[in-house]
Amino acid sequence: MSVVSGDNPRAAAREDLSAISVRGLRKQFGAVEALREIDLEVAPGELFGLIGPDGAGKTTLFQILSGVMEPTGGAALVGGERPRAARHNVGYVTQRFSLYSELSVDENLRFSAGARNVPAGQFADRRERYLREMELLRFADRLAGHLSGGMKQKLALCCALISNPRILLLDEPTTGLDPLSRREFWHLLASIAEQGTTTVVATPQFDEAELCDRVGLIHKGGIYKCGAPAELRAELRLSRLEIHTPEPHQAEQVLLQAARHPASSLIDVHAFGDRLDVLTRDARTAELEIKASLNAAALASYMVLAEQPTLQNVFVMNMRGEGLGEVEPPPFPAAIPGACAGDRPAREAILARDLRKNFDSFQAVRGISLEIRYGEIYGLLGANGAGKTTTIQMLAGLIEPSGGEVALAGETDSSPRSELRRRIGYMSQKFTLYDDLSVLENLEFYCSAYGVARPQRAGKIDWVLSVCGLAGMERMLVGQLPRGLRQKVAFGASVLHEPEILFLDEPTAGVDPMSRRLLWKIIREFARNGSAILVSTHFLEDAEYCHRLGLMVLGDLVCQGSPRQIKEKAGTVVELATRQMHTAFDALSASLDCSLISVFPGRLRVQLDGAAMSIEGLLSILDAAQVAVERIQPVPSSLEDAFVAVARGGRGATP
Amino acid sequence: MRLWRRFLDSRLVGLVVKETRQILRDKHLLFLLLFPPTIQLLLLGAVLDPGLHNVTIGIVDHARSPVSRELISAVTAGQMFRRRENLSSDTALEERLRSGQLKVGLVIPPGLDSALAREHRADVQVIVDGVDAYTARLAASCMAQKIQRFNPEGAWRLPPVVPCLATLYNPGLRSSWYFIPGIMGALLTLTSTLVASAALLREKELGTLEQLLMTPYASWEILLGKVVPIFALLMGDVLLAVILGMSVFGVPFRGSVLLFALASGLYVCVGISLGMMLATVCRTERQSHLVSFFVIVPVMQLSGSVVPFETMPPFLRAIGAADPLRYFTTIARSLLIKGAGLDSLWPSFLVLAVSVVALFLVSVIRFRRQLT
Repeated sequence: MSVVSGDNPRAAAREDLSAISVRGLRKQFGAVEALREIDLEVAPGELFGLIGPDGAGKTTLFQILSGVMEPTGGAALVGGERPRAARHNVGYVTQRFSLYSELSVDENLRFSAGARNVPAGQFADRRERYLREMELLRFADRLAGHLSGGMKQKLALCCALISNPRILLLDEPTTGLDPLSRREFWHLLASIAEQGTTTVVATPQFDEAELCDRVGLIHKGGIYKCGAPAELRAELRLSRLEIHTPEPHQAEQVLLQAARHPASSLIDVHAFGDRLDVLTRDARTAELEIKASLNAAALASYMVLAEQPTLQNVFVMNMRGEGLGEVEPPPFPAAIPGACAGDRPAREAILARDLRKNFDSFQAVRGISLEIRYGEIYGLLGANGAGKTTTIQMLAGLIEPSGGEVALAGETDSSPRSELRRRIGYMSQKFTLYDDLSVLENLEFYCSAYGVARPQRAGKIDWVLSVCGLAGMERMLVGQLPRGLRQKVAFGASVLHEPEILFLDEPTAGVDPMSRRLLWKIIREFARNGSAILVSTHFLEDAEYCHRLGLMVLGDLVCQGSPRQIKEKAGTVVELATRQMHTAFDALSASLDCSLISVFPGRLRVQLDGAAMSIEGLLSILDAAQVAVERIQPVPSSLEDAFVAVARGGRGATP
Repeated sequence: MRLWRRFLDSRLVGLVVKETRQILRDKHLLFLLLFPPTIQLLLLGAVLDPGLHNVTIGIVDHARSPVSRELISAVTAGQMFRRRENLSSDTALEERLRSGQLKVGLVIPPGLDSALAREHRADVQVIVDGVDAYTARLAASCMAQKIQRFNPEGAWRLPPVVPCLATLYNPGLRSSWYFIPGIMGALLTLTSTLVASAALLREKELGTLEQLLMTPYASWEILLGKVVPIFALLMGDVLLAVILGMSVFGVPFRGSVLLFALASGLYVCVGISLGMMLATVCRTERQSHLVSFFVIVPVMQLSGSVVPFETMPPFLRAIGAADPLRYFTTIARSLLIKGAGLDSLWPSFLVLAVSVVALFLVSVIRFRRQLT
């Protein structure tokens, strides 16, 4: 791991030759411009991240680079050749399909090798080496369809590596993986890049960008920022302050008010579940200003921490610079303002006791208990296949539990009556709108389905249209909208009737960061009006917006609490900077589980509590390996750290 | 007026509006509703005519007399038998029959004239290729009839009892009159089942069904909302079929239009309910296509709409008694061709009504359970 900050020595050796060189690349599908004038250089041996939401053009760019598709205009060179000619040197892991689920691990590998004419001797060597490296050797005979999500992605990576490509293209390889598998996967990517393979990874998740040597931020078919993560953050010239408070909404109102003052040092104020993020040019002045404002508003119990800005901040500030910043959502035209907050027959909106669900011999949900109050946003966080959707479907009464009890709004019927269903909002993970109907027709249908009174319909439909920025385009067929926009309309449709209980199954899947911020503003508004909201997600960022969280691992609810409480489960986390990354990593991973280590360019992040180790212990290990540590400091733990710590415990408990 | 407004605002109307919009926007579905039934009706109506036309006949005339020539022209008159050639020997005839060039052979013995003059009767030999049993039986009986009736100038005494046939309702004995109502029923079954199951399965496949189940709609409302527009379109299909039957095949319409509409309506509902039921069992549209062929083909076969009911073995006839298409076919034939009334048809109507209710109830009960 010789990657040191943005400066890449491996690249310097073959400076003159880019691994990937793209000039003015354009791709047009009918009237849609998928890629507009893209310029991109990736140096040999670089781990490059292409970061952007669904529909930004990541897959299209990959399809051109892999020689599957011809561009409309511009030129792309891969290893100095046209993509079609270079395709034998390129390994491509596609987003959707890369494995045959009816074939075993070995058979999949053999097929990939055969398709690329790998000689038998080399195949045997590489098979052994990669399967061992990815800890798949034991499962060589298992059908690919029976592997876990993380193992599937590792196998797909093996299949791409078997022909020893010089360039590796990975399209969203970690989408849907739990944080633990995701971290393990990134370890592999770092070591592959270390061995000299140029790796380009597309991902919609900003936190993964930090793990890359360099990143390109892509949005609506254009790359608007390119550089090392540290450079991009530095370029922003802003500091981020985290304000932890039990009353984030009131604090947000106070600070937004303060930020309107022309002399204010606050640039952006954004509320999460139990904290606020403030961006400022001058952290010291801003901290004083924040303290003064909050104290004046008698909001006493808070805590201000100075942090680095995130790449997410870079994205948001860039969008603002282009005039594409978020708009304040118009207030929801509630029929009776505050109606949701009225008298309740029960205190808990959603109550589950020892809820379980078996599909044949498979235990999808293994006895979970939770209670969600009115006005609360509760997040179910977990990987694909952890049982989130099954849990939501049982709570909503769509499927019958195999055991346990559910009470919705105090009622315990196994499938809720029509009258109760009228008070529930539900947004399923799959498409919830009719593709062949227009936006307006869809909204009209849901209005009448939930019996929204005729005089209120127009106002509510207008509200959805303006939230989605679709005013004047309401006659467009939903099928013609991009995924993120459809998701916003679907969300609007599920809340038209002012539900007192709202189920949102992966509401932000495929939504760009600006829209995500907007959606969460609205979700929080509904919670303030008294709705109980259950959100499932595998995005750690979404989890930050929840008041309380439940971590789901393999059908179990392993841990519940506020984001802050959950983060505390991770214990002490330290970050250390060194030039001897490789030696440091090897030394540490010999004495503690490598899932507790994250590798960033030029620095390592280590969770100490999971290994029952002190900073001194850590330093003595590094000292013994003769690693010169330039800097070591404790850092705040993230939800990912907590998830990894908790999930590791879960793994130990269930053999 | 206020009641009307409340009706228009009701959620059921909202659902019907949504379904109608979706169906009208589905060009593929509209095409399926319009073209295949039309073409199939025309094709099947023309093909399913079991009368004899142009059966090839070879004749060996050993008599070579005026009487034998008259017999030959009497036999080959009309469309039924087509003479291919005159053959000189019996062996040549046998060879032609074996090779399949001829279906029927007629051998006239040398002493035809003398036998007729002496005994007022004579024997001729008719040979029929029995491979195609259906055609053979028909050809043999037609041939026998024609030869028996051969009586030039009333020269001979006829057999003592001659049946005098009167054919009612279909004096021309046009078999298309018999088949068209049956084919109409069969096509309606096919179209309505497929369209109805497609409408439901599309929601299931897309995942919108989950969303729909979470709305306040009851199961029967969701199903009824889907039935209404499909019903209207299928009634259009019925109208199309009747017009085609009358204009192209000359099928009469002797009974009450209202009764016929009622019977078709009931039967369309049977088909739709059947499709809905299939949709609750299947997961994808493709699956439902396979299953529906498994279900629909026996429904058509056992109904007597294509294969005459009277020719079936008794135990199949007993199973066929549970086939709703059988009752629709009975009603349609009686109404169109005989002009029968409700007094004789009410049992069939009753069976159709009971089938609709039963199938719809099963669908409703299965509907909410299908996600698990």
